[in-house]
Amino acid sequence: MAEVLPPRIRVLRPVALVLVIAAGIVALLVVSPLLGSVAIPARDVLQIVLHQLSGGALFPQSCVGMPTNERLCGAYTVIIWQLVIPEILLALIVGAALGISGGALQGIFRNPLADPFLLGISSGGTIGAAILYVYRIDVAQADVFLPLFAFLGAITTGLVILGVARGRFSSVETLLLAGVALANLLSAVLSLILLYNPTGSVQVTFWLLGGLGLATWTIDGIAFGAVVVLGTLLVLHGRELNLIQLGNDVAQSAGVDARRVRLRVILLASMATAVAVAFTGIIGFVGLVSPHIVRRLGGNDYRVVLPGAAAVGAIFLLTARDISYVAFPGSVLPIGIFTAFAGVPFFLYLLYRQRRSTTMGAM
Amino acid sequence: MLPPGAWGPSGEISFVVPALPHAHNFWSPPTAGKSLCSNALDSNPMSLNEPSVPPSAPRRTVSLALFTVVVLVVAGVAVAATAGYYALQSSSPSSSGRTITVTDDLGRSVKVPWDPSRVAVLSPSIMDIMFRLGLRSHVVGVDCYAPALGGLSDDYSPDQIALWNLSSSMCVEIGPTFDAESLVNVTPQLVLASTIVSVAAVEEISTTLGIPVVMLQPPTLSGILVDVSLVAEIFGVTTPAQSLDGQLSAELYNATTLDQTLASFPTVLVTYDADSNGYWTFGPSTFGQSLIEIAGGASISANATTPYPELSPGQVLVADPQWIIYGVGFGLNESTYAGAPLWSEIPAVQHGNVSGMDSNWLTEPDPTMILEGIPALVAILHPAPS
Repeated sequence: MAEVLPPRIRVLRPVALVLVIAAGIVALLVVSPLLGSVAIPARDVLQIVLHQLSGGALFPQSCVGMPTNERLCGAYTVIIWQLVIPEILLALIVGAALGISGGALQGIFRNPLADPFLLGISSGGTIGAAILYVYRIDVAQADVFLPLFAFLGAITTGLVILGVARGRFSSVETLLLAGVALANLLSAVLSLILLYNPTGSVQVTFWLLGGLGLATWTIDGIAFGAVVVLGTLLVLHGRELNLIQLGNDVAQSAGVDARRVRLRVILLASMATAVAVAFTGIIGFVGLVSPHIVRRLGGNDYRVVLPGAAAVGAIFLLTARDISYVAFPGSVLPIGIFTAFAGVPFFLYLLYRQRRSTTMGAM
Repeated sequence: MLPPGAWGPSGEISFVVPALPHAHNFWSPPTAGKSLCSNALDSNPMSLNEPSVPPSAPRRTVSLALFTVVVLVVAGVAVAATAGYYALQSSSPSSSGRTITVTDDLGRSVKVPWDPSRVAVLSPSIMDIMFRLGLRSHVVGVDCYAPALGGLSDDYSPDQIALWNLSSSMCVEIGPTFDAESLVNVTPQLVLASTIVSVAAVEEISTTLGIPVVMLQPPTLSGILVDVSLVAEIFGVTTPAQSLDGQLSAELYNATTLDQTLASFPTVLVTYDADSNGYWTFGPSTFGQSLIEIAGGASISANATTPYPELSPGQVLVADPQWIIYGVGFGLNESTYAGAPLWSEIPAVQHGNVSGMDSNWLTEPDPTMILEGIPALVAILHPAPS
């Protein structure tokens, strides 16, 4: 049964959500540049960032007055401006893509377990990446070809799912089952490729666990453009998703063609997921947990849930990145491990709270 | 239970082939539009449910004879193969029939035939020792990791395959799943293996198949010399072993002497693979690390917390190695490394202090690692003044 809230709380909830999200992003943007595989003094980081952002107006020579020598200053500048900042931005962008995709798919399937990887889209991306790494197809230009191969693999899988969805009698259950079956098939294909080609299996394993190593300003720009366009189009489906939650008949009587909306939302979510998979590999749990967090904080209105899930996903992924560097300083570890470490306890806590409040309400 | 009528008049078993729709019976041309089987079926009113009426007597005799011949041939081949295997095992244990007991690198005490004529060598590094000791003719089986041998990976370079005259018929499949049949097929009296062969496979070879297994996995560079002596002892080759030992000892001595004369060790990143996250390299307690040290270099990953860490581009930039040495071969070349982030920003790259080296020399603990790998590293890090 839908939650009935007093009007004042209904207005205040989204506002509180926006404030919490904004505070979270600002805090992370301050902290994250200080964390990386190389420990750089906070003052140096700040000075380099301000120098670059102001085009040299604030600090004409970024290293003047810094305790580090000139060589280290040059290295720090490259690390901060060409590695760390693009990595932070990519975490935000990909987190947003996964969050909003998860929210949209949970809405369209009316299933709280739906997430961007449930339909096997990520498995398709994995096959693309595995082919590149295992057969070493121009690894020298991996920053171009890896995203391309992964995107093609992911989007091809998404299109197959859509082909199933276009069937006249396809139901939500059919789609989910088709996705799970396809994911299993692709997983078997991946196992077969790796079994007979151990060379490159380490890289594929790392890719499977997700990473932000491909981040550059160019990639950030491409990902940002794609996610903004796809995310905006998904947010525009918020009202229709709200009506679909009430049942297809209700949606139909309100002039919403549930089947068409389903096709559009799956296509957009698949493309957003494919973009994320292409640039970072498989990063699980963000798409699943972010919409739930938003629903807990901001209610069930999909006009709020979708942008909220994007913002929470962004925060979530950046937090996972920061935790990985704090937990294992100086190491290059797959970020996908840490999304689970950071997300699962919090998610279990939310479930516990929800169950407790439901039990209390029933008393 | 056989249906009624399956037995022929004389008691022999008959075989009934159901008639295929729109297909000729393959035993004989159809007669009057019907196959023999369909004729048989037609003659029996129960034939739809119990297609058991035997074909005519002459055809039955032919089928029985054919069946008997096939069974006899299969049985004959199986008996011959089994007898051949055991005959080879028992008839050629060694030239003298003598056995010796050796202790391998894992501390296992193994009783082996002395100077065995048929040996399976399940590691490229051991194959290198065998070849250098002039024992190639004893090798009947090798691990078939190299694609050229029908295997999965790249442990044997094309040069080695050509030089050692290896062929796919010698392949023993050891990974990811050990194939006992391929080992039995080469009928070895002894197996020399490294830890690329799983513990379960070693157990199966030594216990189930009864073939002794000597594990050669040297822990250090000097351990390679120990393995050379061990192999020489098993095969009773004294002179080639002394010669090889002399070469190896001299190379190690020269490198150690060089180390003592150097005022400083240049910092170096030795990387064997690269990807979008950074550069894979050697950490403590690895042969790569030992090679760098003995060649007069200071590895920037000497204090890593794992044996084979991946350094981020930022870590390499800050460490600022004077030299970068990358492994080549197996599909890797300079462009592989140049594809990793910030490659062109690294000062060593900008100064041209970058050099490639055969990956085998860095990773395979064998005489070639000492005889080729160390001089190559020394030549890069300490070039002779022109």
